Amino acid sequence: MFTYDSYHMPLTLRDALEAVAKLPSGGRVIAGGTDIVPWAREGRAGDVHFPVLVDVSRVDEFQGYDLQGGRVRLNANVVYQDFLDDAVLRANLPCMPHCAIWFADDQIRQQATLAGNLVNASPAADGTPPMLTLNAEVELVRLDSGEIARRTVPLTDFVLGPGKTVLAEDELISAVICDALPGYGGSFQKVGQRRSLVISRVCAAALVKTSADGRVFEDVRLALGGVGPVPARLTDIEDMLRGQPVSAGLIAEASVKPAERVASRSRVEYRRHVVQGFVQAAIEDALAAAGAPRPGQKDREKAHA
Amino acid sequence: MPDQKITLTVNGRKVSRPLNGAPRLLDFLRDELNLTGTKEGCGAGECGTCSVFVDGKLVKSCLMPTLKADGAEIQTIEGLSPVGSDLTPVQKAFHKTGASQCGYCIPGMVMAATSALRENPDADIEEIKERLGGNICRCTGYTKIFEAVEIARDVIAGRLPPVTLEADETSDSFIGANVRRIDAPSKVAGKLKYAGDMVMPDMLHMQVLRSPHAHAKILSIDTSQAEALEGVECVITSADVPGKDGFGVFVHDQPIMAREKVRYVGEAVAAVAAETAQIARRALALIKVEYEELPGIFDAEEAMQPGAPVVHDYAPDNLVKHIPVRKGDVDAGFAEADLIVENTYSTQQVEHAYLEPEAGLAYVDHDGVVTVVSPSQNITHHRHMLSEIIAKPINKVRFIMSAVGGGFGGKEDMIYQGMLALAAMKTERPVRLVFTREESIIASAKRHPARITYKMGLKNDGRITAASLHMISDGGAYGMSTEGVMRKAAILSLGPYDIANSQVDTYGVYTNNTPSGAFRTFGGMQVQFATESHLDICAEKLGLDPFEIRRRNMMRAGSTTHTQQKLETCSIEEVLRVAEEFCRWERGAPTSRGAERRDLNGPDVRQSCTLGARFRMPGDEADEKQEVA
Ligand SMILES: Cc1cc2nc3c(=O)[nH]c(=O)nc-3n(C[C@H](O)[C@H](O)[C@H](O)COP(=O)(O)OP(=O)(O)OC[C@H]3O[C@@H](n4cnc5c(N)ncnc54)[C@H](O)[C@@H]3O)c2cc1C
Ligand code: FES
Ligand code: FES
Repeated sequence: MFTYDSYHMPLTLRDALEAVAKLPSGGRVIAGGTDIVPWAREGRAGDVHFPVLVDVSRVDEFQGYDLQGGRVRLNANVVYQDFLDDAVLRANLPCMPHCAIWFADDQIRQQATLAGNLVNASPAADGTPPMLTLNAEVELVRLDSGEIARRTVPLTDFVLGPGKTVLAEDELISAVICDALPGYGGSFQKVGQRRSLVISRVCAAALVKTSADGRVFEDVRLALGGVGPVPARLTDIEDMLRGQPVSAGLIAEASVKPAERVASRSRVEYRRHVVQGFVQAAIEDALAAAGAPRPGQKDREKAHA
Repeated sequence: MPDQKITLTVNGRKVSRPLNGAPRLLDFLRDELNLTGTKEGCGAGECGTCSVFVDGKLVKSCLMPTLKADGAEIQTIEGLSPVGSDLTPVQKAFHKTGASQCGYCIPGMVMAATSALRENPDADIEEIKERLGGNICRCTGYTKIFEAVEIARDVIAGRLPPVTLEADETSDSFIGANVRRIDAPSKVAGKLKYAGDMVMPDMLHMQVLRSPHAHAKILSIDTSQAEALEGVECVITSADVPGKDGFGVFVHDQPIMAREKVRYVGEAVAAVAAETAQIARRALALIKVEYEELPGIFDAEEAMQPGAPVVHDYAPDNLVKHIPVRKGDVDAGFAEADLIVENTYSTQQVEHAYLEPEAGLAYVDHDGVVTVVSPSQNITHHRHMLSEIIAKPINKVRFIMSAVGGGFGGKEDMIYQGMLALAAMKTERPVRLVFTREESIIASAKRHPARITYKMGLKNDGRITAASLHMISDGGAYGMSTEGVMRKAAILSLGPYDIANSQVDTYGVYTNNTPSGAFRTFGGMQVQFATESHLDICAEKLGLDPFEIRRRNMMRAGSTTHTQQKLETCSIEEVLRVAEEFCRWERGAPTSRGAERRDLNGPDVRQSCTLGARFRMPGDEADEKQEVA
């Protein structure tokens, strides 16, 4: 059972940081609550009583997003539904709508923040791989002798392991800052037990830009989640494809390699099998989103033969 | 818990009051405002029975801390069609298409459908499915729900006349006519009260302490600290049972709460009735139980071996029931066969997952009648058993069946009504217990897992000369419906096939697993899975068409079943013909087809939900659709 003594909803960043600095032991920051609330149940954390909860979802500085100099600043209260509903975000973050549609459901997405997903740092959190492909950084804020201090950490360094991040106790995420990539095709692949189940088994994100005639990979970005303790970019595969002519054979070849990386603790064989199909589908779907024709099942089999 | 004040607008009315301990918006709506149309099916964001609008956006209120809604405008199912107004087109469409069965998911479904059409009044069927993706229904199979949303969409847009939502005209006969359910309006409006929605003045709340062990002796139970906690009215254990303890659909082997030993993880050991559920939960943590763990037995076949740990003293061989059925001479039948095919089939435990978790309310009325209100699927039997357990004459025991929010067999067992009755007697106050989803899964019966060994003798032309079926079912820790399930499995075992020589044995066995009980088909599914799979394998071995092998063995009018029933009529021939025609079956032995079949994925095969309808791009092919389980 989820219970608490007092619930704060600061409206300004300073108030939020002061509340966080004063959090008693067992107190917690909460955003959408979609991780914390169901966590306080039998079979997970059991009954959890929070002396204080600091809800940061109404902090004015955490609302909305900004586009500046090829980067998008997603403030902490951006929720997954925004990646589906907001036309500007859809155009600039082409892998995110695909990630969002696989993420829980419309109702949870109205609450679930990207920031909360990254802090939760599940090895298979859906937000991490696409954010890696977007070269995301996390902006962290805290009070330092009464002054608001900010630092920026690349997402690759932010997540340390399952459930672990570099976030300090008195720190908040104020924003996630990532590349704006209009003109890219994006995709997201996921397998889990059920769509609305919390965790993916394996997920993959891709971003692809082709030459104007669609024949050459100008840029490729790939990342995988659920295959090791932390999600990772597949830079070797990206290098293998970048600058090369688009061909089914090359994609098939590229998809074989990442399976070797699978280092999860359970169901390794299964995950390896999935990863290969995933990387291939991720690239193909991203190409299709960028305007290329989509190969059918038969072409795929031919390429692998 | 907080006594912070909250101010918000609910269904157009301003509400300003202290939280009174309601941690989540769902609790506040249900417990403080008595808006019980919003349900709690899971409490974990999975099912959508709790969906409400917050500032125009649909959210799951079980995940929302109450104060998060401070200042917000809330609309619940009750607010869709306020007092004095008509049902909305969505609600009427649900009524029209028969989209509400048990009704427990329906308020949430109506909310999700309303949200889908508010977000996109022109949503196509794919988008509707996608937008309803956060809501689960266990009864309807969704088809009628989707149909309702499409009709509502078209009526709202003026593409269909409003009369579409009204009842079809019926002639003298109801057969073949589309008749609306009379209980649907109360379900689509969220007005129907299930047991967990009911309150009585002065009502206490019960919570149950459950066993962490699969098999252990209870050395002692110390309830003194729990009893001393302020707000606790009583703590009960098996020591409080005044009469002859024991219930079960066939054998009465299960005590109201564990007596002397626990036999499965999740078995009730003690229960607390307190002023609030939160206090009762705190009291549970103060109950001290000393256990001595015993070796457990978790596999039904192993449980039948000599020397296996014994689950119940009365059944030293761990056997709940063995049902043997014999017909003809199997040895002669096998000797006559050209081919003998043997195989083993296994099926797993399955949870019913009705959307309404178990709930009940008990009180002792002015005449001293102990009354239990619950969604019991078997109230008359429960009443008789309870009268023995609490040592009261039958006229002092009453069971009232509340609306059942899905049962599927899972609510036949009296697993909590006894505790409620005892607590009501002990406190002379009404007591209510509402299971959490986790509790429902851990404590309630499951479908019997079965291991079925099949041996079948056949002639080269496909005619079956003999069959032997040996089924071992894991009955779990208590008998529940096992005996009946074994009977039914034995009766239905050989399917609609006329087999001259057969030998069928079904065994229900005690283990320390979660008890198995009634579940749709009552044993039929397990044996049919084996029989029909086996026939397909035999067809393959004999190079026969799977329909053909069935036709060659089917019962006809005049056939005698293995239970010696002479059939006067038989419809399987017609069933096979229609099934073959409707699925566009490609004739031939299973081995005769190439890699691609043209009879699968035809226009009338139901496709799964595809995601991304909202941003689907031209050129997306059907075979690239992503599937969702
Ligand atoms: C039914 C269901 C389905 C789900 N499906 C998915 C899914 O498909 N994929 C997936 O990846 N996840 C899924 N989740 C998990 C969850 O929704 C996500 O992880 C979500 O993004 C968490 O965000 P939140 O705002 O709700 O976090 P909260 O629960 O509010 O917080 C999560 C953590 O982040 C911290 N936090 C939040 N905001 C900040 C901040 N600004 N600064 C510092 N710390 C902060 C909190 O203290 C907490 O530790 C699902 C959950 C449910 C209930
Ligand atoms: S989603 Fe809230 S009760 Fe199930
Ligand atoms: S009608 Fe949907 S769960 Fe019963």
